[in-house]
Amino acid sequence: MILSLVLRGSVFALLWWALTEGNFDAWWLGGILVMAATEISRRLIPARTWPLMGLLRFIPFFIERSLISCVDVAWRALRPGLHIDPALVRYPLRLPEGFPRIFMANVVSLLPGTLAAELEGSDLFVHVLDGRSNYWRELTQLEQRVAQLSGVCLHAIPGTASRQDGS
Amino acid sequence: MTLIYLMITCFLFLTLMAGMWRILRGPTAADRMLAAQLFGTTAVAILLILAQLAEQPAFRDAALLLALLATVTVVAFVHRAWQTISESEDESS
Amino acid sequence: MNPADSLTILLLMAGAFFFLAGTVGLLRFPDIFTRLHALTKADNLGLGLIVAGLVIQADNWAIVGKLLMIWLLVLLASAAACHLIARTARRKKILPWKR
Repeated sequence: MILSLVLRGSVFALLWWALTEGNFDAWWLGGILVMAATEISRRLIPARTWPLMGLLRFIPFFIERSLISCVDVAWRALRPGLHIDPALVRYPLRLPEGFPRIFMANVVSLLPGTLAAELEGSDLFVHVLDGRSNYWRELTQLEQRVAQLSGVCLHAIPGTASRQDGS
Repeated sequence: MTLIYLMITCFLFLTLMAGMWRILRGPTAADRMLAAQLFGTTAVAILLILAQLAEQPAFRDAALLLALLATVTVVAFVHRAWQTISESEDESS
Repeated sequence: MNPADSLTILLLMAGAFFFLAGTVGLLRFPDIFTRLHALTKADNLGLGLIVAGLVIQADNWAIVGKLLMIWLLVLLASAAACHLIARTARRKKILPWKR
């Protein structure tokens, strides 16, 4: 409990330090704000354990995929001719409800050629920039990673791709 | 270094001006909103470079504020403006 | 010119290139979904590269922290904004452009 308070306090103090660019002239104001922020966060965000190791393993994967996705979209935008074949795709999620699904929906937009359009129950609607690319593997791979991160096991085999045009 | 910073700033400014075309053309309100978002990110980059160039830390604060405001703008747009704009405009896209 | 400066120049130029790609995508792509792809991806990497270039030149660690904070904020904001716009477009039955 005390450890959690100290941790929260240090995070906010660090933020204050960065925001003021290391200038401590207004340290008293910073002190008050850090204490207030710690108290508010304690009330709003209950203590939970963070999958630190999982996150550390996820970050390199995330950086690699988003770099590739940026280069991919830049290449498609800059070379002459329209090299896209967009489609709206329904992806049935195997992840459990709550944090894993929301996390997945947010990260999908940074994968090469995919964009989360809507999270509807256990279905994730994804807009694909190029229907000919291997986006399905991309999605299952990410889902696997997110499952690892949140410590759940995926069992069911994903359904086949269903193109959902428009509706 | 000063020259490089200035050149990059001018270049970013030019891409920003090119983005104007999308605001003029539309065709839907959402397309214009996208251009506005592009302006937000580009302006953040320009301000950060200027902060380094002019040694004005206040520019970094301006960039931070712009980044915060961009989010509010998009949320406000999606929840308020986009719902009330005539449907026919969007359908013609 | 020392190596740090050269690296900064390289990173800034790469960043500017991705901003250009984002703008070109915004102008060339045919519908709102594809434009979203161009905007959210290219611009975030562009800003990230520019931030990386400036981090090398920063006078102290607090400025490094602040620059990274700004980038993370833009990253989070654009991921959320992108999802929000795509979702509303789908709900409003805006048809994705087809080849």
